[in-house]
Amino acid sequence: MSGGVDSSVAAAELRDAGHEVVGCTLRLWGGESDSGCCSAADVDDARRVAQVLEIDHHVFNLADDFDEHVVGPYVTAHASGRTPNPCVECNRSIKFGALLARATRLGFERLATGHHARVSASDQGFELRRGRDASKDQSYVLGFLDSDVLAKVLLPIGTMTKAEVRARAHALGLRTAAKPDSQDVCFIPRGRRDGFLAARTTLTSGAVVDRATGAHLGTVPALELMTVGQRRGIGHGPDGEPRFVADVNVTARTVLVGRRGDVVVSELEVDRGSVAWARRVLQDGDRVLVQSSAHGAVAPATLRIDASTRLDFDLPIRPVAPGQLAVLYSTDDPELVVGAATIARRAPGNA
Amino acid sequence: MTHTGTKRPTSSDGDPSLLYFDHAATAPRRPEVLEAMAPYLSGTVGNPTGSHRSARAARRVLDDAREEVAELTGSAPGGVVFTGGGTESCNLAVFGVAADRARRGHRARLVVSSIEHHAVLDAAARLERPLLATPADVARIPVSTDGTVDLEIAASLLAGADLVSVMTANNEVGTIQPIPELARLAREIAPDVVIHTDAVAAAPWFDLGVEAAGADLVSICAHKLGGPIGVGALCFRREIALVPLIVGGGQERGRRAGTPDVAAAVGLAVALRLSSNERVRAVACTTARRDRLTDLLVAGVEHLHVTARGARRLPGTCHVTIDGVSSEELVFLCDEAGLCVSAASSCSSGAATRSHVLEAMGGTDATTRASLRLSMGAETTDSEIEQAATIVHAAVSRLRAAHA
Repeated sequence: MSGGVDSSVAAAELRDAGHEVVGCTLRLWGGESDSGCCSAADVDDARRVAQVLEIDHHVFNLADDFDEHVVGPYVTAHASGRTPNPCVECNRSIKFGALLARATRLGFERLATGHHARVSASDQGFELRRGRDASKDQSYVLGFLDSDVLAKVLLPIGTMTKAEVRARAHALGLRTAAKPDSQDVCFIPRGRRDGFLAARTTLTSGAVVDRATGAHLGTVPALELMTVGQRRGIGHGPDGEPRFVADVNVTARTVLVGRRGDVVVSELEVDRGSVAWARRVLQDGDRVLVQSSAHGAVAPATLRIDASTRLDFDLPIRPVAPGQLAVLYSTDDPELVVGAATIARRAPGNA
Repeated sequence: MTHTGTKRPTSSDGDPSLLYFDHAATAPRRPEVLEAMAPYLSGTVGNPTGSHRSARAARRVLDDAREEVAELTGSAPGGVVFTGGGTESCNLAVFGVAADRARRGHRARLVVSSIEHHAVLDAAARLERPLLATPADVARIPVSTDGTVDLEIAASLLAGADLVSVMTANNEVGTIQPIPELARLAREIAPDVVIHTDAVAAAPWFDLGVEAAGADLVSICAHKLGGPIGVGALCFRREIALVPLIVGGGQERGRRAGTPDVAAAVGLAVALRLSSNERVRAVACTTARRDRLTDLLVAGVEHLHVTARGARRLPGTCHVTIDGVSSEELVFLCDEAGLCVSAASSCSSGAATRSHVLEAMGGTDATTRASLRLSMGAETTDSEIEQAATIVHAAVSRLRAAHA
């Protein structure tokens, strides 16, 4: 429980359904504060919600796990020119990893969260579906969860719209009913990403090179802070048109850029080791709908599995940074998650 | 998280099924204390700083309480400053002495042990920050593996010390510190030194007039003694100049402004008196029960280590570490079974944190080992000891089985 409306209402729904519910808030990040206690205000909010709901509440310190599985890999990925999604990793390793394992050890039968997504049972196991409120759907950040994990997961507000959730929180008298949704990377204060990474990894300058002409267009102070698809900080080419990042190569210390129309991609390679199929292993040639950012549009594609594993898009899409997650949905049932994988670093120039 | 199965007892007061083994966090309130405080909690009780008869009557009660506390702590008459608790008392000693040196144009040198409560450690650390108006240098005395300050190393740090602050006994693991020896040593090396001891954890068990002998300033609080939360005292064994933390009306001889809380002062005095009257018996029976509990835990739980077993420890504290399980999970399962224990080191959110005390004692990898503090009082019974040990056995077995 974060103290926000979603997890609060999730707890209330389960309580009202007759479950014995225990609220839990994770302490994940100490930051630079004296006490080593993070987001004390959130913990207070969550505790107060639990008091109002008359359920027990505990605070668990999983900061070591968070540091090892989320913050460390986040920094390492940036250092190698990738753009990781720490929220996805936190869900996989912490909330539905370490916490689920702990809950199981402590005798709990289910782990519930306030995510906007739905779990449904099928004869092939448990599967993940988009939440009812399309504008708040969070199935993307849970796309990696497999049937064994989903079997132990309850997502009580996945069947509600955000407006319904807020109304329910209001009716319950929760003072956090109007609390804004959490955003951004929770362990980095808004706008301080560059400083956070600079303190934890060596930043190296690099050359900005026009991919089409090979022309040197300038330099950037920190390659590790560049993201594929980014426009900010690149400037324009000699033709006066804005340039976008097509590739970041930390080894060669170059940022390849191109015009908007030049950096689109029609194929994305994924890290084969990262592929997680939901209920059935997809085959070469299978059709899927691909979502490659938390609230991005879906694009139809064909799965290609040979020497590498690729998503071959029907129409070119905006470039996706290596390290980001692609969640695959069924073409027959567009709300159903059928798999997920991490985008690999493409060889430059294969657009 | 959702749970089926039997509904466990909630932590409501007066629940007879509750096994309360967290006296070191706060002791059960004694009814005699409330009874003594009651007359000053309702009706007309004058402001003790006023001059009319109602004020004088309140002042009389306040000063009686002050004298009682002075006597029981071996302090000078009038040498008791009532505060808002142990933390404020410790803060007043550290900040007050450092600020006194600063107003005389001197940068204070503070020597503290590495296992102090954060009320002392964080106060000292704040004075190290260069931009502060009252800067100070801080030296930290390490402790041996048995959790006791190392006097030889202390001797090497004491030259030029303005304030030495070492706790009478540690709140987490219960180790008793050699305050008389340290005080003697400090005065030989730095004759003008002020010696403060945080006796908050020790107060229920010690005759502070004897055990804290040599200290100039002694911090205590009421709620570890069965008194109310929110009152403590900084006791002066001799006249010590210090700058107040709280300024305003100049109460408490200019050492702590604000209208004195008569009822709270009475609560502290009565709690201290009761504890003092019962001390000898309480120490004897609690030590025996603590040792019995320790034996039961050692016999029943494999890979359990008794912290600082060879050291002098507080009678009521049984601190152990257990391999291969997590503190938070162990405390959770104990709570579920109705046993209130502490992971010993937790932040204000309730989450377990790495213990600076265990780190200072060295060698204990807190990430792979649970730490558990069971602390008790004179009213703890043999039957409760047995039940507590059984619950800890069961919880550890269950967690180990889940890991296997």
